[in-house]
Amino acid sequence: MKTETLDRLRSRISGIDAMPAIPVILRPLLRCLDQPAEQIDVNRIVELVSYDKSIAAQCVRMANSALFGRSHPVESVRTAVLNLGMWRVRDLLFSNSLSQVIPANRWVVDPSVFWRHSLGCALVCRRFAEIIGYPDTEKAYLAGLLHDIGVLVNCMIVPNEFRATVEKAYREHIPMDEAEQATLGFTHSDSGRILAEAWKITPDLVQAIELHHEIGDPERGGPLVALVHLSDLLCRLRDLGYGYYEPRQIDFANEPGWLYLVMQFPNLAELDLARFTFTLDEYAKEVGELVSTVFAA
Amino acid sequence: MSNDSTMLKDEQLSVESLTDPVWIRIRDLIYQVSGIYQAENKFYLLVSRCSRRMKAVGARTPREYLEFLTARPNRDAEMRNLLNEITIGETCLFRSMPQIDALRKVVIPSLAEAKKKFSFTKLRFWSAGCSTGEEPYTLAMILLEETQTRLKGWTFEVIATDLNDRSIAKAQEGIYNDYAVRNVPPEFMKKYFTPVGSEFRVNDSVRSFISFNRLNMLDDSKMLFMRGIDTIFCCNVLIYFDGKSKTRTVEHFYNALLPNGHFFLGHSESLYGISKKFRLVHFPGTTAYWKPSESTPKAGAP
Repeated sequence: MKTETLDRLRSRISGIDAMPAIPVILRPLLRCLDQPAEQIDVNRIVELVSYDKSIAAQCVRMANSALFGRSHPVESVRTAVLNLGMWRVRDLLFSNSLSQVIPANRWVVDPSVFWRHSLGCALVCRRFAEIIGYPDTEKAYLAGLLHDIGVLVNCMIVPNEFRATVEKAYREHIPMDEAEQATLGFTHSDSGRILAEAWKITPDLVQAIELHHEIGDPERGGPLVALVHLSDLLCRLRDLGYGYYEPRQIDFANEPGWLYLVMQFPNLAELDLARFTFTLDEYAKEVGELVSTVFAA
Repeated sequence: MSNDSTMLKDEQLSVESLTDPVWIRIRDLIYQVSGIYQAENKFYLLVSRCSRRMKAVGARTPREYLEFLTARPNRDAEMRNLLNEITIGETCLFRSMPQIDALRKVVIPSLAEAKKKFSFTKLRFWSAGCSTGEEPYTLAMILLEETQTRLKGWTFEVIATDLNDRSIAKAQEGIYNDYAVRNVPPEFMKKYFTPVGSEFRVNDSVRSFISFNRLNMLDDSKMLFMRGIDTIFCCNVLIYFDGKSKTRTVEHFYNALLPNGHFFLGHSESLYGISKKFRLVHFPGTTAYWKPSESTPKAGAP
């Protein structure tokens, strides 16, 4: 978008008291997770989990849920964390800390729908990364998880206009960013980018947030943006979107993001995309379980 | 079929074995042979269907069954039996809402848009392997709705073919029980069906748009005559074909379709490795294969 508009938006966002603050545990969590899986410190994660009573309780509840089918109840936070595995705990921590960004009464979209989409996109993005051999699969996960945080910003800074935007998207069956452009003059990619910058999130993630709908020049954003763009599209086509019908036909093999990724990662050309798509329905269950754990509180 | 209770019992029997890694191998084998994919969140269905076959052949464990399923001489026959079990109950009217939505909201509008440019006002759909008629009647009802609303002045025809004479005869009758019509929206029920005893008969207003014919898809000389089709449905038929026949049949489908035409398979069926000409396309909740027009740039995969 134009620099001028962006500057106006930036000053508008920073001038508002309601500017979402970075959740306390998010930065140490990001630092903790920004390293190879085998180097992640379990004790540090347990510490972060214990820091927040409601998150600790959720971990214990989830470890005891039907998904794990344990015969003995889990009581300690540590056992819960070990049972859930680092990635599920991370999911819980993220969705919780990000949920704290906006008060419950400020949501314009249904929060469980928002998290379904974000977590679904994160899972798909990581899986995609694994398949094509993109080296940093956890980065891909984070990018998927955070790509729509601008939606949270919009809920906070322009609640009424954004409500009209969401209604327009639902009513006209058009993509959210298109509706935003028409009613707000900016999109959640723009506002998300400003929030991510204010939170000092790493530049590649900021780009993924900023460019996931503008894939016209894939070189600019690199593979991470292309991965998020395609994962977001796939989620919206497989019941992990914002819960409304977007009537369209997508030929993935002809999407600019896909064509760009195929050049970088030739394995992608061999991917059985139909089968990959069918497996996405498997994620829906996992995502559903997670979201209901977060919102059962 | 209304044997949910049997399914439940089977499921309970095999809860413990649900996590057996052999199921993954059975799932992958089914996919490799037939192109039907069983998602892991639906594994209880796979397990329940396999358990019925296991009982029939006397296999005590999934591993034993996998051996039975891969060893000659029973291999091919048993795979066919299993596929029958897997696709059982999949024949009903309005079976796949995501496919129907894709037709109504994306495919038909764009077809109409493209054809209008050449002053064509007729649509031709083909239900290949129509079995007892559920699919062609569904398609005809959808097209009837369209030609009464957005596509006023348009005509259409649905060509319904099947190998089996008895299926064709049953399809022509167009009489269905309440289980077969359970997904039919009430307004369609009211408009297009007449109760006959405890069953429902499709009205002649729908029937007149469909031509039922016996056709063997492996008969090249007959398949060559199928041309000028806008949309093909062929659900859970190719899964029974071996690789070569599948490739040949899909090639015929490709030739039968007009440029920009669509080819729909069963909801978890894939054509991976079968055709390089068709493009896999995604609609909300469903996929299909698309024949690009000559002006469409070529893509790499898939």
